[in-house]
Amino acid sequence: MHIHRLEKIWLIIGIVMLGVFLVAIGIGAFAMGNHPPGHSSAIKLDPEKVYETPPFDNPGLEQIGENEYNAYIVAYIYGYNPGNIEIPVGATVHFYVTSADVVHGFNIPGTIVNMMAVPGEVNEMTYTFDEPAEYLLLCNEYCGIGHEYMATTITVKG
Amino acid sequence: MDARRDQLESKQKNNGSMEQEHVQDEPLKGTFASVLILGAFIVVSWIGVLWLFIQRS
Repeated sequence: MHIHRLEKIWLIIGIVMLGVFLVAIGIGAFAMGNHPPGHSSAIKLDPEKVYETPPFDNPGLEQIGENEYNAYIVAYIYGYNPGNIEIPVGATVHFYVTSADVVHGFNIPGTIVNMMAVPGEVNEMTYTFDEPAEYLLLCNEYCGIGHEYMATTITVKG
Repeated sequence: MDARRDQLESKQKNNGSMEQEHVQDEPLKGTFASVLILGAFIVVSWIGVLWLFIQRS
């Protein structure tokens, strides 16, 4: 089969690009532990019994290491339980988020924390807060008439 | 039409090297440039998204 010289060049470029992209994604997934927020959902729950199902019967922070926390958070119309979370600077927080009613967003602008809160599912994401600041936590999935007021803050103390 | 096709086929058979050269000279330069521009766009977008992700994580 005859392939034009220029055609060969662009085929090689395309194959190399695909290879580089796949390798980068592979390194991110297997060496750096990046994964979609809904990847495992080890905890399944009945969306109508969120507040009776551990760990969401007692939402909030749980210290699991020297400066490492699990944060169990329930999104509801129109807020987050608990609101106004306070953590020390440098804390690594594993967010476990679900919803008590409809689909909500869980976004901390300026960070990679951006996921959905889905009824019946637990989405997770880990983030280390290296800068002392007040981080905004807001809903970015339209959830109803009070959607624009659905926000709280995460205070990182220096 | 058939006569022309026969003529063309015999020409191709008899003069393979000429035909090869003709294929080599097909004007694919514009297509090549378009492919490179599209490829550059994809690479730049991809690197931009990766950079944003690394900056914010």
